[in-house]
Order: sequence, then C-alpha cells, then structure tokens
Amino acid sequence: MPWRVWNWSIERKLPLLFTGLLAIVVAGFTWAAYRQVRGSAVSGANERLQRVTSQLVDLLGASVRQLVTNARGVAESPAVRSYLRAPFAGVRADALTALQPPPATTQMVVATELWDANGTRALTTRADLPPLPRETAQSLLRSLDTTATPTIGAIRHLGGSDTLVYPVIAPVRDRGELLGYVVRLRRISGSSQGGRQLAQLIGSDAALYFGNADGDLWTDFSAVVPGPPVDVGDAHGLIEYRREGGARYLAAPARIPATPWMVLVEFPRAPVLAPAHTFLLRMGTVGLLLVVTGAAATWGLSRRMRALQAQVAARTHELQESETRLRGVTETAYDAIIAASAEGNITYWNPGAARMFGYAPNEVLGQPLTMLMPERYRDPHRQGIARYVATRDARVVGRTVELEGRRKDGREFPLELSLATADTPAGIAFTGIIRDITERKRIEAALRETNAELESFSYSVSHDLRAPLRAIHGFARILIEDHRAQLDPEAQRLLGVIDDNTKRMGQLIDDLLAFSRLGRKELDTTRVDMTELVRGIADGLRRAEEDRALEVAVDRLPPARGDRDLLRQAITNLLQNAVKFTRRRPAARIEVGTRADGGETVYFVKDNGAGFDQRYAGKLFGVFQRLHRLDEFEGTGVGLAIVQRIIHRHGGRVWAEGRVDEGATFYFTLPGAPGA
Amino acid sequence: MHAHEVEILLVEDNPQDAELTLRALKQRNLANQVFTCHDGAEALEFFFGETPHGLREIGVVPKVILLDLKLPKVDGLEVLRRLKEDDRTKTIPVVVLTSSREEPDIARAYRLGANSYIVKPVDFEAFARAVSDVGLYWLLLNHPPQ
Repeated sequence: MPWRVWNWSIERKLPLLFTGLLAIVVAGFTWAAYRQVRGSAVSGANERLQRVTSQLVDLLGASVRQLVTNARGVAESPAVRSYLRAPFAGVRADALTALQPPPATTQMVVATELWDANGTRALTTRADLPPLPRETAQSLLRSLDTTATPTIGAIRHLGGSDTLVYPVIAPVRDRGELLGYVVRLRRISGSSQGGRQLAQLIGSDAALYFGNADGDLWTDFSAVVPGPPVDVGDAHGLIEYRREGGARYLAAPARIPATPWMVLVEFPRAPVLAPAHTFLLRMGTVGLLLVVTGAAATWGLSRRMRALQAQVAARTHELQESETRLRGVTETAYDAIIAASAEGNITYWNPGAARMFGYAPNEVLGQPLTMLMPERYRDPHRQGIARYVATRDARVVGRTVELEGRRKDGREFPLELSLATADTPAGIAFTGIIRDITERKRIEAALRETNAELESFSYSVSHDLRAPLRAIHGFARILIEDHRAQLDPEAQRLLGVIDDNTKRMGQLIDDLLAFSRLGRKELDTTRVDMTELVRGIADGLRRAEEDRALEVAVDRLPPARGDRDLLRQAITNLLQNAVKFTRRRPAARIEVGTRADGGETVYFVKDNGAGFDQRYAGKLFGVFQRLHRLDEFEGTGVGLAIVQRIIHRHGGRVWAEGRVDEGATFYFTLPGAPGA
Repeated sequence: MHAHEVEILLVEDNPQDAELTLRALKQRNLANQVFTCHDGAEALEFFFGETPHGLREIGVVPKVILLDLKLPKVDGLEVLRRLKEDDRTKTIPVVVLTSSREEPDIARAYRLGANSYIVKPVDFEAFARAVSDVGLYWLLLNHPPQ
C-alpha cells in the first residue's frame, strides 16, 4: 500500500503534523541551548587555563631570573676571570670553589663549567661528564644572545642518559673583554609531583607540560612525554586537538619570556563539556517527553475530534433521515400542509396544498396567507396573527376550526384548519394542516336532509298510523258498549281481540317512535347520581307492584356522567324487564350493583326470574326481538333495544348473561364516569 | 244551533276522531254546544271570515278550542298563531289535541300560547277520559278573564 500521508484523515494528519513541528521546535531550542551551555563551559575553561598558564609563566619566569642572577654572580667572581685569563693550577682550586653552586641548589645542578670564548670547556665540576662537541657548543652560543646578559638554553638529554638538563649561560667579562662563559647545567626537577599538584589545582584532570618552544622535546617534569600533535609555538589562547587514540584535549600553551621554553596546560575536553552534555541529555529527555506528551495529547484531541465528528455525522444523518421522513409525509399527504412566518407569509407549500388551492409553489412562496382566504377573513386573520405574536393569546392555534378557503380560480370551499406554532430562532412559525371538507359538508347536508325526512316520516307514522288505530279501537269499543245486547258471546270475544290488538299496535308505534327519537336527541351530559336515580325508579316500580313479594336491592353506586333522562329511561327499562320476568317467582329478587373490572365500573341489574337461553343472548337487544311468547310475557321487544341505544350513545357497552329459569343479569358500562 | 251558543270549538279533520271526541264529551254531557271545523281554513273562517257558513258573529267566543295540529289547508300551528295574535281571540283557551308526540310541535305550540297539550292515545278509554277531562276543566272550572 502506498504511503500517502496526504490521503490520511485529518485525525491522523493533525497529530503527525503537530508532533513534527513540536519535535523541530524542541530540537532547535535544545541545540541552541546546548551550544550556549557548551560555549560558556569552554570559555570558562579557557579563562581558567589562561589564568593558570599565566601564573605558571610568572612563576617560572621568576625562577629563571633567580637562576640567571646566580649565574651572573659566578661569572663576576675574580677567581673565574683569573682562571680564564691564565688557567694556572694555582687559581684552579679557587675557580672550582667559585663554580660550586649554593648549597641549597646542589641537588638541582648537575655541573658547572667554564668555557672559553670559543666554547671550549676550560674547567668543570664534573670531569666525568664529556664536554659538548665544539660545534654543538658554538651553535648553542650562537643561538643565544649571550654576549651581554646571562641566558638560558633549550632542554636536552644529558649525555645519552634520561636526565634532562638545561644550560644557564652567563658571559664572563673583564673590562669589556669577553673572556668566556659560565655554563651551569641544571636538571629538570626530578619529580612530576609539582606538576600534578598544579594540575589538581586547575582540576579537570589537567596535565602540565613543559618543553622547548620549537617543540622538539616535552616533559612533564619527570620524563619526556609526547608533545601536542600540533605546532604550538605561535599559538595563542585555547587550542583543541586530538591525540593518538582519539581522545580530544583542550590546551593553553604559553611561552616563558627570556627562555626558549613553553608551558602547556592540557586537559581532556570531555569533562569540560560533560555539564553541557548532561544538559543536552536532560534537555533532550525533557524535549522528548514534551514531544511524546504533545503527540499523545494531539492524538487524544484528534480522537476526540474524530468522535465528535462521528457524532455530528450521526446526528446529521438522523436529522436527514427524520427530515426525509417528514418530507415524505408532507409531500404525500392528501391534506394541504402550509407553513408561514410570523409575518404571515407562506414558507412551505406541499403538493396537497397545490392540489387543493390550485397554486404552484412558486406562485405562493413568500406571499401572504391572505391570498388563500375570502375577502371577509383577511382582516380578522391579520389581527389574529398580530395578536398571537404579541400576546400568545391563542384563539385558533392548537385547535381545529372550520373556515372557508379561496381557490386560485376564486371559488370558495369549506375547510378544516388545524394550526400549530413553533418558536424558531427566526421567530414564530405557523404550520397549518388544511383539509378540504367540501365532501363532508355535502354529506352532512345530505344527512341533515335525511334526518329531516326521517323526522317528518316519524311524524306521519305517529299521526297517521295512530288515527286509524284509534278509530278501530274506538268504534270496536262503541260496538261493545252500545250494542252488547245484539252481540253473541263469540262476536264480543272477537271484538275483544280487536281491542287488544289495536292497543298493542298503538304500543308498538309508541315504542318505535321513542326508539327513533333516541337517535336524534342531543345528549345533555351532566353528573348523574346513579344511586339516587336507581332508587327512585325502584321505589316507583315497587309501588306499582305492591301486591307482589318483590325485593329490589340497590347498592351504593358510583356516580356517572351522562344524560339523566336517557339514563333514567334505560334503567327503567332494565328494571321493568326484571320486574316482568320475575312475575312468576314467589319471592322475586332484583339486585342493582357495580363491580370493578380493570379500572372500569360495570353496573349490573340481576334478577332471579325466567332467565333466557345464553345462545340467544345476541338477539336480546335487537328491535322487536323477543325470547318469550307473548302469552308468557307481554312486550314489544323494543325496551332492551332502547337500553342498548342509550348505552351506546354514551359510549358504553351492554351485555347480558342468563340461564333458562335461573335468572338473568344485565351489565352496562358508562365511560367518562368521574371517580366514586 | 246558533253561534253564540258555542262553548267548545273542535277543529278536527278526521271524522272518526271527531266522532269519538264528541262521544267522549257527550258522555259527560258536554257535547251540546260543540261546533266542529274540519280544517284550519274553516277554523279561521269561524273567527275572522266573511261568513261562508254565516257563523261568524262579533262577540261569539267559545269557552275552549280543541285544536288538532295536523290539518289540511292551514295547519293547526298556524291557526294557533293567528288566534293568539288577535286581541279578540287571544284569551280563548286552546287545548292542542293531536296524535303527535314530536317535541318540536309541543314546544312550538306552547311558544305560540297553547294552554294545554294532549296526545290522543290509541286506547279509546284513555282518549275519552283525556278529552272529557279537558272539556270539563275548561268549561266548568276555569274562569276566563272578563
């Protein structure tokens, strides 16, 4: 897979970028700081070295002056002069005595010699040491400006031995004439202890070297040592070099005035730079930590960002889905869905609205809602919106109202409007769902017409059917009353049958009309005290049946909500029913009560009468349906149909349970009953 | 029979109902001064007309009017309205006597000033009792304003 950083997600790129930048900054800063610390370590070391070196130079210079003074003392001795003028045996002893070094320095002086002006050895305190070859001696004298003042020569090995010596040479004069030289060979201090002590003073594992300025010989005051690998003769200040083996050193060389010598203080570079290195290490560690922490933080941040991003994406997706769903609903709704701003301008117009009003979206969007209304509604509408926006006093909002709308072609039509509002950042937004109720209105009108017809039909039935019946009944009665004498018993019986049947027919018509009226009567709903209502009815019935052993037990009943008159009618019918069907019981018992059934109050009327076959329970409540023969129990079969219609109009249920000869129980419910 | 003798005016289109009504009144000896109109127009004529029957005389006032509501030509409610609108007739008690139990009729009849309302039952005995009770009450017990 190719390494394509720029194709990475921001979540991976960002921490990488940040870590990179952080690393560069930290590294840069660390390096700069390191350079500074290192520079100051080196310059400190330099300063220390220079100081030490210059002190050494001063010290050695003073020591050299002392040696020179001593040598001059010897050169001015008369015995020495005498011996050089005339090397007689008589002055030889005096001259030798004069050549002897001061007692304190005996150890340091290898030999003291007298040379003639040509460099030939005339006398020595150490006859066992061979004289310098003539050329060497003369070259030594030439190299030194010894004609005027004593001077000091380069260090060299004594003979072929390891002993290092240097000559202190003082010219011997007498009244301006050069007679020869006093040459005193002094050894280099036999121990390096001084040097080491000095080095310890300087610290940093320093080493003190001492040598000829031409670099041919270096010593640490005890032995010959390898000199610095560079020419230090003309060097100033601090120099740096690498010795064999790779170790690096810092060194400060200095010439010792009035000698061909140099001192060199040298120490390894590592200890000097150690603090700088430690610093670098620490800085590096801190920097690394910083970078790692930064990287981790950025990674965390980036992950958090990524999570947030994912969350936002998910929310957006949800929102889109919900919007799509909502759009689907509004786009396919048959009803018109219209949204409007607080100013009453249309902001949304669904296809249903286009279908209903006849305007395409581009004709109405941004236009005032009033264009959808007949003229007479426009002012009230504007005032309504202004009032709602100002006071939130809702007269239409949150309800469903019936109004008229105006189509594009100017036709008006009835509509039903449900108006909702929402507070949006841009202000109140109104959303209306509008249903074209033209068809419903038409059906309502037709229904009203049908009702009116039905009413008129009922009226006709009531009036026109009853009149002939009344005539039949009336004239049959007249026949019986006025012409009894002429009628034989069979004729009288037949007239009795006519009489009975006309009465019954009248009752049927009355019941039918009562039943039909129930469907049209408006419910006058109030709180009804069922206990009082039922007890009142029961008392009336008991009075009417005084000659019977009839017990009507009415429990305390929870109150109900309903039309008092209709409920009275229903309960009367139920109780009359019970009274009727218990007629053959020697001890009739009717019980009215309630039971709770899943939070619902169920009223019941129970009797111990004739009962019925449960298989026919469904027929009980049908109009003109009877389960008993007329000669057993009279009735038109309308009473229970009326009960059912009343209970249904209250939104309740009614049903019955019974067994033949074991009584019946009628149950009903009345929803919307307030708690007991 | 002279109009001034009229004590009960029966407005009834159905001859059988009229006969039964009269019989019921007769049983209480109230039928002597009953005059029957057979439709609404005839009833209005009785009071306000230009004497097609020669019956109208100023000052002839029945003691009670038994008025059927469902009448040919001019219906009972219209007759009632006209009677109660006219100062000469508005104090005559009107008993609405009809088969209709329809509530709008009852309410409208009372609104127009009917003094009583009786639904004619199919049952002859009940019918006779109702008619004769009303007749008796209005003729014998009620004192019309002077």
